[in-house]
Amino acid sequence: MRLEVRVFSGLEKFMPGARFGQAIEVERPEGTTVAGLVDSLGIPRSQVFTVLVNGRHAAMDAVLQPGDRVSLFPPVGGG
Amino acid sequence: MQGLTREQRERYQRNILLPGVGSEGQEKLLRSRVLVVGTGGLGSPVAYYLAAAGVGYLGLVDADVVDLSNLQRQILHRTGDVGRPKVESARDKLVALNPDVQVEVFLERLSAAGALSLIEGYDIVVDCTDNFATRFLLNETCLRLGKPFIYGGVLAFAGQVMTVVPGAGPCLRCIFPHEPDPHVPGCAELGVLGAVPGVIGTIQATEAIKYLLGLGDLLVGRLLTYDALSMTFLEVSVGRDPGCPACSQEMR
Repeated sequence: MRLEVRVFSGLEKFMPGARFGQAIEVERPEGTTVAGLVDSLGIPRSQVFTVLVNGRHAAMDAVLQPGDRVSLFPPVGGG
Repeated sequence: MQGLTREQRERYQRNILLPGVGSEGQEKLLRSRVLVVGTGGLGSPVAYYLAAAGVGYLGLVDADVVDLSNLQRQILHRTGDVGRPKVESARDKLVALNPDVQVEVFLERLSAAGALSLIEGYDIVVDCTDNFATRFLLNETCLRLGKPFIYGGVLAFAGQVMTVVPGAGPCLRCIFPHEPDPHVPGCAELGVLGAVPGVIGTIQATEAIKYLLGLGDLLVGRLLTYDALSMTFLEVSVGRDPGCPACSQEMR
């Protein structure tokens, strides 16, 4: 299935060629979870503070659906 | 209402000229109360712009003292302030900028015990903290009180901002349900470009003033993300999480 992935706020550094917030199309098997996607992208899970799927928070064990828009954020917590 | 003095009409002339503001809006700002939690990289521009705009009552919360390493971004503080409590250093600058503003300082970390009674006295809260534990406390307290608050955060070359209006959109924990892994590096390890909290804090101050005056569209349900390297702003639409640990219980 095809997924649309976006990485934000520094997570780009884990994905060669990724640009801040720009959609990257990836192909993954049916049944792929959020954690499975993150692992396959080479991003350490500990660095991923929140995952939004179609604009809503998703748990690491959530199963992705074809066409899902997945956004990954680190903790942007400084003040 | 006694109206604006001649001096105030001059000081706030550029505000008053704006559509939707006028003398009435300015008087409203002068009667408004904003709590700024944190007087560092975000709190500096937030408090400075709010004071300049004539927000009449500012509460400042921070337990820290000024450190030399703060001055690269925390523009309210000066070299001579190193070692002084940030809230006192901040108050001096704000009162010098605008004597119309009454600044109340709280030299403390926001605590679960004190948050409710503190926040109750303000119209809106601006989150200028440097950790998610305090943000979650602000989020939950503001939900309970039905007060809006404006989240801001920075990291290295990136920043984010979102406005939480209880009942009108997602809360902070709809998007960030858990505290981050304590081993994930933050600004102390990764650094932060000083102007980045300037950008984010300025947006927070703008949101606060818009809220107080009922102007425009707030960043409710819209996480605005900023990347200084590509010089890009991107808005991510975010929705309420029906399983949110904070607002799914509060709002029921």
